[in-house]
Amino acid sequence: MRTEAVVEARGVHKVYVAGTVQTPALNGVDVTLSRGEFAAMAGPSGSGKSTLLHLLGGLDRPTDGEIYLDGRAMSGLSKDELARLRLTRIGFVFQAYNLIPVLTVVENTAFVLELQGIPYRERLRRARAILAELGVEKYANQFPNRLSGGEQQRVAVARAVVSEPAIVLADEPTANLDTRTSLDLIDLMRRMNEEHTTTFLFATHDTRLLDRVDRVIGLEDGRIARDERVR
Amino acid sequence: MTAGLRHLRRGRRRTVLAALAVFVPVFLLVVFLGMIGGMEKEMFASLTGFDTGHFQIRRATDRPASGALPLVRDPAPLLAVVEASTQVTWYTVRLDLPALAAAAERSLGVVVQGVRPADAAESPFARAVTSGRYLEPGDEGVVVGRQLLDALGLSLGDEMILLGAHPQGTAGVAVPRIVGVFDLPDPALGRGLVHVDLGVAQRLVRSPAVTAVVGYVRGVEGPWDTPRIAEAVARLRAHLPEGYEVLDWAQLGPESLGFMRLMRPIVVGFMVAFFFLGGLVVLNTLYLSVLERTRELGIILALGAPRRYVMRQVLLESGLLATGAAVAGAALGLGFVLVVEAVGGFPLPGAYEEVTALFGMQPHLRMRVTAAEVAMAAVAMVAVAVAAAWYPARRAAALEPLETMRHAN
Repeated sequence: MRTEAVVEARGVHKVYVAGTVQTPALNGVDVTLSRGEFAAMAGPSGSGKSTLLHLLGGLDRPTDGEIYLDGRAMSGLSKDELARLRLTRIGFVFQAYNLIPVLTVVENTAFVLELQGIPYRERLRRARAILAELGVEKYANQFPNRLSGGEQQRVAVARAVVSEPAIVLADEPTANLDTRTSLDLIDLMRRMNEEHTTTFLFATHDTRLLDRVDRVIGLEDGRIARDERVR
Repeated sequence: MTAGLRHLRRGRRRTVLAALAVFVPVFLLVVFLGMIGGMEKEMFASLTGFDTGHFQIRRATDRPASGALPLVRDPAPLLAVVEASTQVTWYTVRLDLPALAAAAERSLGVVVQGVRPADAAESPFARAVTSGRYLEPGDEGVVVGRQLLDALGLSLGDEMILLGAHPQGTAGVAVPRIVGVFDLPDPALGRGLVHVDLGVAQRLVRSPAVTAVVGYVRGVEGPWDTPRIAEAVARLRAHLPEGYEVLDWAQLGPESLGFMRLMRPIVVGFMVAFFFLGGLVVLNTLYLSVLERTRELGIILALGAPRRYVMRQVLLESGLLATGAAVAGAALGLGFVLVVEAVGGFPLPGAYEEVTALFGMQPHLRMRVTAAEVAMAAVAMVAVAVAAAWYPARRAAALEPLETMRHAN
């Protein structure tokens, strides 16, 4: 039974304000993700997937409502405390890979560990181990621009899971990849989920990937339109 | 640090520009300080060697109206005090007299300097003799400047009439033969100063008097050693009989001291402007670098890096760049100074001859710089560069990760 809540959104609203124009992005979202879940957030563009992902990841604050991570409300946290939370409890995978161009693959993977103050040898050992698990160890000393999109995204996944966070949030991680590579990547994430019991939530509008997740949260117009277990 | 170095390598052209903005001011400052140090040393050597010594002991009475130095009729007690000082490395006595130098129908007012030839043999006067020879002990001859020789229409070997005119002495006359001609950088000295044996000068005032005990302090190489001189002077003052004063070189040559004090602030003023401009280039470079790396900095912040980490990264980058360039600038500047010194300086163009002559210096550039000055130049520029990086660093640290993520995507 997966009952231990890792992250929860309660009555979350988000309104973007640009001058006098207010654009509501989320309208009262309630969602809970438990430890070890492998879930996808689906919906058309503009449905609020990325916004919710950013709020759950502590990259933004809700206009109203509350986000809890490990049972702790995030609204009262300072910017530095939020950064600390992201560093220790949340892993991110971005659509554009977003690896740091001046760091090698192994340095990129170990970067979060460096920020956490893990000693050099230990973080390198852990980074190499996770790269090996994801099948990209041979690129360890190369710079990201020498890798294909799929390989870069594997490195991004390695960076996200290397510090064993409570949850990995992935925003359209397969958007720039072909079908085969996309499915491989999702399978890899699935394996990480199963082997490390890391919770995964990724936003996607690629319906082919939905067969491979346990739960699909459908968003429409900033509201949860469906939330169902599919496996 | 590795990332910082890679960033610098990635923006190579910008890095080179910023490095030059640090390198050039540091190099120039070290070279300018070397020039000032060399000039100060030369001026000091010229002033104290040709004229004042490191200190002089004189009678502490008002000068006569003529400006002549008061006579010390019995210098023995003064010499005993100087002899007892462990700080005084060398001393001599001198009798400076206002006199009239004449030949045929021409005459000129001069200062006759009565010296002990054995003591003065290594003086700059002796070294400046270009025709004939310098005085020898018991010499009855006179050594004159080239300009005086020309003004009186005399030649080496001719006789010159000297008429002593000290207000405290009895007028005396001597007719020494010109045994040597010196060429001094200062034409005023060449025209207005003659050297004779102390005995000859004493005959011009008909008294075994002197006007000053001229002393040199151990371990003094330049004006920067003035505290050492001051300490020696203070001890001498404490032991001197009443009625005498000790004047140090700065009191005896205030014009030179004033010039020396002026040079350094002027150069430092120029260098502050250079450093400021260098700082602006560094600021601009790092600001552009931060703008260019908005996406990367956003990723770092999104991953959970503390803002101080981002700020430290930018400052570190600036520090690496500035330290490398400043060390190179300082090393090259120091190398330049050392090479110039190793080859004995280099001659200045003719236009500078008159300026250097004003201060009794040869038209020859010598250089001297201390390790402290080199270090100061480098450290100051690194500090300026890091301070200049503060704004870009703060801007980088203030980025909102989500905004930059949107920018990225």
